[in-house]
Amino acid sequence: MTNQDILVDCFTTALAITSDTVTEALAYNSIPEWDSIAHMTLVAELESRFGVMMDTDDIIDMSSVAKAKAILGKYGVAFEG
Amino acid sequence: MKEPITLEGYQVTLRDLATTDLEMVRQWRNDPAVSQYMFDQQRISPEQQAAWFERQSQDPRQRHWVIEYRGQPIGMAYLKAVLENEDLQSPSRIEPGLYIADLNYRGNILAFAPTLLMNDFCFQRLGASCLQATVKADNHAALRYNCTLGYREAERHDDRVFIELIARDYEMASGPIRSFLNRPVRSQQ
Repeated sequence: MTNQDILVDCFTTALAITSDTVTEALAYNSIPEWDSIAHMTLVAELESRFGVMMDTDDIIDMSSVAKAKAILGKYGVAFEG
Repeated sequence: MKEPITLEGYQVTLRDLATTDLEMVRQWRNDPAVSQYMFDQQRISPEQQAAWFERQSQDPRQRHWVIEYRGQPIGMAYLKAVLENEDLQSPSRIEPGLYIADLNYRGNILAFAPTLLMNDFCFQRLGASCLQATVKADNHAALRYNCTLGYREAERHDDRVFIELIARDYEMASGPIRSFLNRPVRSQQ
């Protein structure tokens, strides 16, 4: 599994959405499934699968799929392409 | 005049509502995205807002705060003593409430922060035994939100759900949320 696959998997699991919904532009408030509770579940999922612990600023700033990738990049998680 | 109280923690600050906030808060409250979840859907005029502010300023049974994150106002929070014979000095039951007006944080884990601050204040400093809320039955997001914090359904009537929270349930349920919002922030490192 690539890191991109794992990322998509985290979003589909935490938000209970299908993988084709997980595009770079997907942001909270754009779908009802991504609310404050799902946001917390998503962070837990990302931390567990990528073996990182984010600081609170990054957790709060994680407002889209693109932003999640950028933030994970700061913790050494590289995404292909 | 009530003693000013500022609450800080979990990355947010709750500061007392001031007259200079009134127009901003009125616009928030009249925004359909906020008012759709209120039992009172009436559009609020500047005069009504000013009269309400005057009443609540003098009322020892309620307190209203502006929620700030990174120095910017993002929403409103309040506490009300439930029982007629109690004020907010030593209430047994309190009704807390809030809304996040800033769209950037409405679906964010940060939305839990003001609630954690108020609940800690109610249980630990005011010594309340129970918090309660009334939620529209079709407001599934608010019901899920409160359930995550340990609230339990007490009663259901027509379009309203009455929920309650005791300190022990709150302590157990809120642990994971606290752990996310209590971590170091970049500005502190």
